[in-house]
Amino acid sequence: MIDSVVYGFQVALQPMNLIYCFIGVLIGTLVGVLPGLGPSATIAILLPSTFRLPPVSGIIMLAGIWYGVMYGGSTTSILVNIPGEPSSVVTCLDGYQMAKKGRAGPALGISAFGSFIAGTFSIIGLTLMGPALAGLALRFGPPERFSLMVVGITVLTYLTSGSMRKSLMMACFGLILGGVGIDAISGIYRFTYNLQALLDGLGLVPAVMGLFGISEVMLNLETEMRRDFVTSRIEHLLPTLKDWADSIGAIIRGTVLGFFLGIIPGGGAIVASFASYAIEKKVSKHPGKFGTGVIEAVAGPEAANNAAAGGAFIPLLTLGIPPNVVMAIFLGALMIHGLQPGPLLMQNAPDVFWGTIVSMYIGNGMLLVLNLPLIGLWVKVLRVPYHLLYPLIFLFCLIGSYSVRNTAGDVVIMLIFGVLGYLMKKFQYEAAPMILAMVLGPMLEEALRQSLLMSFGSFTIFVTRPISLGFLVTAAILLITPMITQRRKISHLEE
Amino acid sequence: MDKGDLRSGIFWLIVSIFIIVQSYGLGLGALNHPGPGFLFFFTGIFLGILSLSLVGEAWRKRRAEGISQRIFEKVNIRKILFVMIGVFLYALLLEKVGFIVMTIALLVFIFGFIEKRGWLYTALASVMITSAAYLLFQAWLKTQLPRGILEFYRF
Repeated sequence: MIDSVVYGFQVALQPMNLIYCFIGVLIGTLVGVLPGLGPSATIAILLPSTFRLPPVSGIIMLAGIWYGVMYGGSTTSILVNIPGEPSSVVTCLDGYQMAKKGRAGPALGISAFGSFIAGTFSIIGLTLMGPALAGLALRFGPPERFSLMVVGITVLTYLTSGSMRKSLMMACFGLILGGVGIDAISGIYRFTYNLQALLDGLGLVPAVMGLFGISEVMLNLETEMRRDFVTSRIEHLLPTLKDWADSIGAIIRGTVLGFFLGIIPGGGAIVASFASYAIEKKVSKHPGKFGTGVIEAVAGPEAANNAAAGGAFIPLLTLGIPPNVVMAIFLGALMIHGLQPGPLLMQNAPDVFWGTIVSMYIGNGMLLVLNLPLIGLWVKVLRVPYHLLYPLIFLFCLIGSYSVRNTAGDVVIMLIFGVLGYLMKKFQYEAAPMILAMVLGPMLEEALRQSLLMSFGSFTIFVTRPISLGFLVTAAILLITPMITQRRKISHLEE
Repeated sequence: MDKGDLRSGIFWLIVSIFIIVQSYGLGLGALNHPGPGFLFFFTGIFLGILSLSLVGEAWRKRRAEGISQRIFEKVNIRKILFVMIGVFLYALLLEKVGFIVMTIALLVFIFGFIEKRGWLYTALASVMITSAAYLLFQAWLKTQLPRGILEFYRF
């Protein structure tokens, strides 16, 4: 084991690989900072440029981008209230509020440090537990996967600050949207109406770009006034001792939670960040303050999404199963370079396996160094006057959505989602549940149908298996609690 | 103050009915062998129930408190509309006309027509940004951007 890690260092510390790691991390952070282009699109766009590189360098660079985007995304979430990518959506909730109170520095600081700690631990976890954990996660049968995804969606609707009913509605709609395209089991086209653009399903990247990026720009175009931007100087980047004391628990919890959620297929950084938020809120002594600028609400999710990023590599590298969209693109990248991810990867291409793992550790260090001092630079990037910035954002989104599948249909889809997202914001519906349900939808449906096949049509399979039962009970609690607490509030008011 | 809940609730109700009907048409299958429409049928029903409850509550609120405020007041709808039309046209014409021409056209539209910067600023910004984007995406990143009407020009 130690030999492998040492070998990994030897590979990762080669000058060329260090350079590519740095390039990846830099581009990733830049992309993460700019709203609109997400990790999937960026990795997809940059994939062809790695063809000429040796496999190790190419994969190292792509991994660096993945991490960089996580870090960069927190910056825009905190400063501008636009999530750089989906897994930073939660950071907006309290991070932006902290920034408005003049505490952008500590928010950015704790998010960078928390991410570093989480990333480092998750990579250590990856190294130590990789094979064993993958085995356990694979023992999750369809009922457990189904129930886990139900919890994931429920957690999301639980924590949205708006109406839970509306969020549930959005989740339902997202589930349907996830089904557009071909049905894996029967081969029938669903909801496609013979439109070329819909045959392969609704792309996640155009949808996210539209719902979060385009709609935000539209919202900002509403008024001629300068948009809500934290313009005060960002000082005190180092969190205070009190901040550390408040956050350390959140960071630890987020790391562990994120790591395990990252491994499980259908989990991932997005679910991890939302789950961490929900847990921090539950564990907190002042849950009512969540949403007003509470530092543990930034520290926990940020740690979780970075830990999940590390954890997500486990099923990919050890079993060849991508647990989420970005990892699916990685799978493609590995195969294009002639590598077969899976248990044999460790044997056939140890330099790729261990070199990538170690480079992630180095990448994390680079990111910490990059992010804190360069925040001034990133802020300057964001201070470009809006009339110049929004066409650029549009352009990035337009090209980005085009380049994923090389079809203008995706661009149109993105714009439609943009309009939808804008209307949703005006009528106060949350977009995040929709996106999560859209992503998990196909997997959820597959798990459901497989479970029912296994049980010959009986729904009891979901409750007779203990893990599945546990998940479903959690979901039920999350759904029912708000109704009870609300009744109590109302009856108190009436008294 | 229902903030448009009545309208949006009715919208989602209609959507849910559409989904229910379409899913049923896809086939529900049997419980032990669920068909393609299975999950969506029940999801559609759930959405319908939620929409109904939203509409119901909004209706009750409206009777109690009167008409809600306008959603779109104080909003520069024209600007948003024009920009979105421009961007939609971009998407629809991108593959036919090509990246370079459409991007310059879009930027000229935004900088010149909507933001009303002078023609010099517009021309410079449009050309520079398009060139930079082209260099970045086509030359360096090798994204296959559509050539459109410039197909003949190999560069």
